[in-house]
This record gives sequence, structure tokens and C-alpha cells, in this order.
Amino acid sequence: MTTREFDDVTLERVREHVWEIPQEGGMEVPARVLASEALLEEIGEDDSLRQLKNAAHLPGMTKHALAMPDAHQGYGFPVGGVGAVDAENGCISPGAVGFDINCGVRMLRTPLTYDDVRGREEELVDELFEAIPSGLGGGGVVEGSRDAVEGALERGVEWAVEQGYATEADLAHCEDEGRRPDAQPEFVSKKAKDRGMNQMGSLGSGNHFLELQRVTDTFDDAVADAYGLREGEIVVLIHCGSRGLGHQICSNYVRRIEQEHGDLLDRLPDKDLAAAPAGSELAEEYYGAMCAAVNFAWVNRQLITHRTRETLAEVFDAVDAADVELLYDVAHNIAKRETHDVDGEARELFVHRKGATRAFPAGRAEVPDAYRDVGQPVIIPGSMGAGSYVLKGGDRSLEETFGSTAHGAGRLMSRTQAKQEFWGGDVQDDLAEQDHIYVKANSGATIAEEAPGVYKDVDEVVRVSDELGIGDRVARTFPVCNIKG
Amino acid sequence: MGEFTLREHTADVAVEATGDDVGATFAAVADGLAAAMCDDWPAPDAADGGERADLRVVAENPEAALYDYLDELIYERDVRAVLPVDNEARVEGNGEWSVDASYRGVPLSAVVAREVKAVTYSEMDLRRVDGGWEAYVVFDV
Repeated sequence: MTTREFDDVTLERVREHVWEIPQEGGMEVPARVLASEALLEEIGEDDSLRQLKNAAHLPGMTKHALAMPDAHQGYGFPVGGVGAVDAENGCISPGAVGFDINCGVRMLRTPLTYDDVRGREEELVDELFEAIPSGLGGGGVVEGSRDAVEGALERGVEWAVEQGYATEADLAHCEDEGRRPDAQPEFVSKKAKDRGMNQMGSLGSGNHFLELQRVTDTFDDAVADAYGLREGEIVVLIHCGSRGLGHQICSNYVRRIEQEHGDLLDRLPDKDLAAAPAGSELAEEYYGAMCAAVNFAWVNRQLITHRTRETLAEVFDAVDAADVELLYDVAHNIAKRETHDVDGEARELFVHRKGATRAFPAGRAEVPDAYRDVGQPVIIPGSMGAGSYVLKGGDRSLEETFGSTAHGAGRLMSRTQAKQEFWGGDVQDDLAEQDHIYVKANSGATIAEEAPGVYKDVDEVVRVSDELGIGDRVARTFPVCNIKG
Repeated sequence: MGEFTLREHTADVAVEATGDDVGATFAAVADGLAAAMCDDWPAPDAADGGERADLRVVAENPEAALYDYLDELIYERDVRAVLPVDNEARVEGNGEWSVDASYRGVPLSAVVAREVKAVTYSEMDLRRVDGGWEAYVVFDV
């Protein structure tokens, strides 16, 4: 048997791209890493594997604690982690969702081609940067009010339709049709709502961005056609989450779990795995609050979509705002109550995806009508100097990963090291001169922290996903211009 | 007196801090939080140097007090649109732990700042050492 060792963690090779950490100590189940040899080498360099072993301690963890090909160290639960936990006898863990609840991505199709945009990139990046609030203290697309926050928490994108910021077609092309029915805004604290009020429709900073991209390759013409993707056309990728509102919800519930379920917390190897026992009042309250934050994040991306449509229509005479269509919006920090087949038995599970994307194949009821025959779109953003991908939910995803795949390239280098190795201005100049990618950010430090060299090879991440059959390649895109906080 | 160092973390950022007493250590972590968000800010006597503000938190143990204190500063940042700098804190533990703190709130409009999303418990360490206290805190970025 082939094994690999990283510090005190030993992995056994199960088959191509599948590595297992055997169950030991307090682990409820074994852990699995889905990675090529090259990606495993990178994953083993930080604390990801120890965090994955820790995640396997969560009560009710089912089959395996999983790390996707883009996994890297997070806090508590690794980023790129998937944990399916029994919804009756297990638990739900805010730490396994992450602070940025429903951090996710959406892709918009436009009627523009790369030829329409070439030569106007700098104008476009300036206009988008001006129009889309980003960074700290930049406000939001709308001036938030108590009623607006409540509406977004309760009704998600349906609220945005009522307010004129979204269309019925947007609902039809969003995960959960833009609304989590389990949302319970009454379990969202006033502090969280305060923080959300002046951030409705804002990117934030860090790795969040808005990017115009051109479709460079299609790999599956039938599915690309179903998704409306054609080579040479321009799409928009928006990556952000629930902003301070979601962060505050996570903080609030981590603290309440510490106070109300200390016995469970004491059995876990990391305090940031904080979990509420399934069926407890606190578990129900967290789930209701988390689902409300999911709705808020969809509204956040929807408001940015609205402003993007207006901006493209202002810059290009030939573009009407209505021509900019939502392809799909998908969360990659979330926990959902889902039914999965486990050893021939239908089981209700809280599937935690932290830095992992749902990747349901054709036929699964949760996939919107528009894509049910081909499988849901999965959007995998790369760095601002590399391509991004659109995948479709793979036929083996339910069996291998509870219907999940990667969420991006995955970080390789710390932010402090990135700032030592890269200078924001140089990165910006190199991208423009060598790759015709135009980047604008509030801070040069952000550009340095997000330089292409700090990420794993997104092509390799996607190759592994495709070969495992958990998320299959449909199209590849390449950046044209990018704004960030 | 306290001081801090920013430490590497793959996705996030960590602050290591020391202080003569637990309050100084808390304040040094808070100063590290500010440094993780911003490289430079106006001096206190500048036109946009900001005003001082007070805050108080009470928690069941010292780690929870540190967590709540940093969480409160992040909340103040988002709601008052200020970067909390020049932090001062007095911490008392007597059954429950209280933090009476103040900061200078520099308007976000006066700085170029990046967002730190939240304080985490991951790898948090707070301990008494010879001559004072040490803390290590990972923030989600």
C-alpha cells in the first residue's frame, strides 16, 4: 500500500486522487483527501491535514470528513472541507460553515464579445470600480434600512425582485431560487443586522472581486450550450458573501455554543469546530439564522449584479441591462439539510461545505429546472492572472463527496509572505502589459496579497475534479479586468 | 506597555502580542488587528485623526473576554465606520472577566484599509509568562 506522511499524519492511497487518513483516537470516521500527488504535496505543507482529522471528530460525521483538491488551512475546519453530519443524532457547526456565510460566486452572461471590450478595458475597470462599493467603509449599492435588511434576510432574491433589483429570470437561475425557506431572521442578532445595514451591495475586500472574463475554451459543447456559454463572449464573475452580518452571526453562535454546550465543545480538539447538538434549540436557531444570512448574501450579489448591469449599459451603447443574464449563483460556505444515500439508506444530513461547492448532477431535485437535465453549474474562480472554470455537477459527486467539489484555486502562500514577495504596483503592471488584464483595487497591498503566485494551479484542481467525476469541465474563462477592495 | 507582531497564516492573519499586564496585552492584540487592516493612519492631532471612544465587555473567562473585546472592535469598525487604533484596555478578573477599553476611531474615509472579517478561537493562546502576558490570535480575513 502506498502511504504518504506529513508530520504526524499518515495517508493511505485508496486509488488515483483519493487518499485516506485512517480513523483513530476520537475520530468518528476516517478522513479523505481528494488530490493529485502534486496537490497533496501542497496541502500537506500547512495545517490542513491536522484540521481535517479534527473535523472528523464532529459527532455524527458520516462516511468521511473530506478535503477537496483545493484544500488549505483555515480555522477549525479546513477550507475546502466537506462534512456530512447526521441531522438527527449529530450536530451543526458554525465553524464548519465559516464566518462568511454564503460566501459564493455568480456568473453573468453578457451580449459582449472580447472584440467589443478590447481597447476599452481601462475605461471599463474605472467605471466598474466607481460603481461597485468595495473595501472597508465604502457603503453599499443601496442605503440599507431595518426593513431592507429584514426583507433580504427573510425573502432573499424575492425581496430584490420586489424592489426592482432583480428579475424573475434571476430567481430561476440561482441556487435554491434565491431564497432559503428555512431562514429565521428573528434568530439574527441586532448587532449582525446593524453591520449588514450599511453593506448591502458591497464586495468587501480580501479575495473578493468582480471580474470581466472572456470564454476561451469549451470542453462539453452540449452542456456549454445549455449554460449559454460560447467562446469569445464576455461573462462577469462576482465573488463575495454576507459581509459583516454573516461574520457576526458566526461569532455570536460560536460564543453561545461555548456557553450553552461546553460539554460537547470540550470533546472537540479545536474550539473553532464549535457545534450545537442536532435537535437542540441552539442548533435550530443557528440553522435559521445561517439560512437568513444565506439569503442576505444572495441579495448582496444581486445588488452588485444590478449595478453591473447599469454600468455595462452605460458604457456600451449596444448593451441593454436586461441583456445581462444570470447564469448561476452558487454558495461555497454553507450548511444544508440534505438527503443522501448512505450505504443504501436515505439519511438526512447537515452537509457542511466550507470552501467547497455543491455539485449536484443531472436529475437531482434541488437543481433548478433550467439545468436539471444537465446538472448544476459549478463556478470555480482562479486567481486574477489565471483562468476560471465552469463545471457541471459530476455523476460521481453524490457517491464520493455528498455532491460537492472544489471552490477555487486555494491559497498557497500567506498574506504576509505575499506582501514580502510581491509589490502591488508591479503585479498590476505585469498583468496589464503581459496578459492584458486590467486590475483596480483600493489598496496595492490587496493586489499583492492576491497575486496570481499565491494560489494553487487551478488547472490541476479542476483536472482532479474532472477525473474523479465530481465536477466535470464545461468551459474555461480568462480575466479581462478585475476590481477588488 | 505591550507590543505585537503579525504572523503568517495560509489564508488568514495571526497576531502575536506581549504586554506588561493582561490589559496591555489585550490592547496590543487590538493594535495588531488595526495593523492587519491598515498600514498607515493619521496622527491624533491631524484633522481627520478621529475621536477616542470607550467600550466595555464582560465574559466568563479571559479567552472569552479577549474574543468578545476584539469582536466588539470589529463591530465598532463596521457600524461607526472607523478604524480603532491606539488601543488601551484594563482587564479585571474576579469570577467574571471585564474589559474596560478605549480606542481612537480614525474615520475609514481617511485611510486605505482592508477588511478583517472576524476574530477566531483557532490556535488562540493567552498565558501569563515571566514579566507579563502573551497572546496569539488568528483573524479571519
